[in-house]
Formats: sequence, structure tokens, C-alpha cells
Amino acid sequence: MTVTAMIIEKGDHVATCLSKVKRGSKVKLMHNGRTGKTIKSNSAIPYIHKICISPISKGKHCMKYGLSIGIATKDIKVGDYIHVHNIESARGRGDLEL
Amino acid sequence: MKSRTSSKRTASNKKLRKTWWGYPRENGDVGSRNYLLILSGTLYANSTCERVARTLRHSVAITHPLGRCQIAPDLERTFETLVGHGQNANAGAVIVIDHHREEGCTSDEIAHEIAKTGKRVEAINIRESGGAIESTAKATRIGMEMLRELSTELRQEIPLSKLLLGVNCGTSDTTSGLSHNKATGWVTENVIKAGGRALLAETTEMMGGEGVLAAKCIKPYLGKRIWKMVEEMEERILACGVDLRGSQPTGDNMEGGLTTIEEKSLGAIQKAGNAPIVDVIPWAKRASKKSGLHVMDTPGSGGESITGIAAGGAQVLIFSTGGGHTINHPLMNTIRITGNPLSANLHRDTTDVEVTDIFEGVPIEVAGRRVYDEVLDVASGKMTKAEILYEENAFAINRCGPSV
Repeated sequence: MTVTAMIIEKGDHVATCLSKVKRGSKVKLMHNGRTGKTIKSNSAIPYIHKICISPISKGKHCMKYGLSIGIATKDIKVGDYIHVHNIESARGRGDLEL
Repeated sequence: MKSRTSSKRTASNKKLRKTWWGYPRENGDVGSRNYLLILSGTLYANSTCERVARTLRHSVAITHPLGRCQIAPDLERTFETLVGHGQNANAGAVIVIDHHREEGCTSDEIAHEIAKTGKRVEAINIRESGGAIESTAKATRIGMEMLRELSTELRQEIPLSKLLLGVNCGTSDTTSGLSHNKATGWVTENVIKAGGRALLAETTEMMGGEGVLAAKCIKPYLGKRIWKMVEEMEERILACGVDLRGSQPTGDNMEGGLTTIEEKSLGAIQKAGNAPIVDVIPWAKRASKKSGLHVMDTPGSGGESITGIAAGGAQVLIFSTGGGHTINHPLMNTIRITGNPLSANLHRDTTDVEVTDIFEGVPIEVAGRRVYDEVLDVASGKMTKAEILYEENAFAINRCGPSV
């Protein structure tokens, strides 16, 4: 079954999956009401969680809404599930020199 | 069974309404309700307030655990919050009850400030009245006479310039920035275009989105104030020797797919729409009369932020939620909306408007208009689900220091 995932701004690294995604299933990307290419998920992704749509190197900012939502803690490939296991916040961090 | 608001895919040709029906007050404010407010000055008056409110139809009690043994800046916050609620136009008349003598926050002092609006207000002290039962009797009798008067007042047609719309989100998830916060932003924009005002809060949820908000400010100094208040919030968190992670995003935010505070913030600020920011004010301060979007410095905690908004003078609030919610302010009409289909169903008992069809391709303006109409209807007297159910769970006074 193909799942739809919504992109907010062109150039974002992530899209929001509008239903639960199984590993290996096809994810159709949608932006501004128009559908674009289809990618394959590398793992299961829960309802309304994020999928990577363009690669992010470890230490680089992950973009959504055209702005940074945090920093990649490992290299992330297209089709990977994106959440707290591979992105961390850059704000309100007691363990970092700001 | 699933109840659903009728949804249309195309924008209506009918013009947006520019007026609503409310209760004009002597000072020029207009209420969307005509409640008798039974306001507790201190925690030991809470039960008396509740007894009085239970006896009197159309009355509402506001109670809290504060008002005593607070350091000066905190006591001032409590005082201002209580005064702000007494002054809120949704209270047609007010009875303030206190216990003995609460330095700096007595019922007389609170009533004195509320009286400046021109509305009828009475102060009652439990000790001076001869105890819990005597003060209950006294307040009940005065309240009954006040309600007789209030019930003779009629709603009048009022321009949108007299509406202060609060906007707040809660239990956010990834649908927030895509659907209900977008619809809220559309309402914010259109209420302001019609000459009205809106009030945005939740400083913690501006972290990562300061630049976007600063760009909406009509004067550069307002943008600087936004940057500064977010920076101060971040410093206060770090000064506690902790990390924001673990508290924000919350567990339900992360279950809803939000990974970081930045992501949560960028979704939250969609509620601002494309409206100009005309002022930035401290917690619980009264918003000025200038048409446009006002921003209040509040924590992200829903009860505290919406209490600040109500003290700021808002009559109606859109509470847009990803996970669904029961949150409701006792005095300010709270409209809960969601775009998350799962939550709309699970929280159907307190969801007033669904905008789930945004995910089926319905344009934001169509969903936004549905919320806009609900705002004007509720302002004009339509009851919200939580109002009918007596959900009065969201009065929470923000504090900055310890109890002493």
C-alpha cells in the first residue's frame, strides 16, 4: 500500500507520513497539494512521524518549514525514519556551551 | 459514533461576518458572556467561593492555591492575574472573597482595581463576616441581586474591533503545523483584517522560530523584545541546572512525532498567520487597544498561558490541539479544534471544530472559515462543549519563586 507524506517547504529534509508506514513500503511525497516522486521506506514509521526525503550528514541541521529543527546525530539516508534516535535539539541544552 | 462538522471543499462566496453579539461594559469593553464571577483572593477562601457558585445559576468560581506566603514578585503576579480576571469583560459583576488579611492581595485591594472598569464588585472577608457559613450566606444574597440585574441586560451587535481573540496550542503533534494551527493562523489574520485583535503566547514554543516572529513585528524594538524573552526563558531553564529535553517536547508531543522543541515551535507559530505583531507584553498584562497581533510572554504550559491570555482581556480563545484536549478556561470561552482525525474521534466529547479534511485536500481558508464562524458564534453566545460539561480546569497562576 502506498502512503502519502507531506512536505512543508521545498528543500526540507523531512516529510510527515499521513498513515503508518511498513518497512519497504512506498511513500508518495506531496507538496502544496501536488504529488511528486515516490520513495521507499527503510523501516517502519509510526502514524504522522517523519521520513527522510534528502540525505543529512552527521552534525548537519535537519530542515523542516525551511528552518532547522535540530542536528543529525548520525548520517541519515533517504527513506530513513527520523525522530529522537537520529536528531537532537540545539536549544535549551544543559550539556552544551551555547 | 462519529460526529462531524459539515465540510466543503470550496471557499464560500458569502462575505465574512464583521460583527458579533456581546454585552457592552461601561469602560467600552464587551463581554461574550455575562457571568457573575466569584473570585477567590486566597486558597482558604476557595471552598466558600465554590459553595456560592454552586448555589447561584450563571455564576462561575475561580479558585487557586496561591495568595499567601509568596515572595513579592510572585504575590504581584497573583494579584495582577486576579484583577485581570475580574476586569475581563466576560465577568458582568464580581464578588471577591478572602480569608483574613492577605498582605498585598486583599479582597478590598482586588475589588478596588476591578471597580475601575465600572462593573459592580463586592469584597467579602470570611473572618469579618463571622465564618464560612455566614460569608457564604452574605455572598449568596449579594450575588443573587447582582444576577437579577445582569439577567436584564441584552446582547448588542458589536464590531470585531471589540474582540480580543486568544490563540494557544496544546498537546501538539506533527499535524499541528500542517492543519489546525494553520487554520487558526487564517482566523488570526482575518479577525485582524476586520479591525480586531489577537493574542499569541507560549514563549517556550517560540524557541527556534524567533526570527519568523520578529519579521512580523511592525517595529524593530518589538522583534528584539521577542528574541530577548525567548533567551531569558532559555536561561531560566538552564539556571535550574537542567536540560529542556525531558520536559519539552513532552512525551505526548514525541509520541505525536515531534522530535525537538524547534520543530514544535515552528508548528506553534503558524497560529500567528501573516498578521502584523503590534505589541509584546509581560505575563497577565492587559493588551492595548491597538488592532493587530499582540504577543504575551508566558510559559508553554497550557493552563498558565491561557490564564495569562484571559487576564490580558481575551473573551474567546482558540485552543488548537494535535492530541485532542479537555482544557477549558472558566471565564474565557475556549474553542478546541483539531486536524488530527484520530484525536478528533478519541476526544470527540470536547472537540468543538474539526479541520481534519485539510488532509483530504481541503484548502486552509475553507477550514479556517469554519473556525472563524465558530469564534463569532461562540462570542455571540453559542456554548462550547467543555462549557456545557463544566470543564473548568485551566486557571493556573504562573510563579517565578519559592513559597516562603
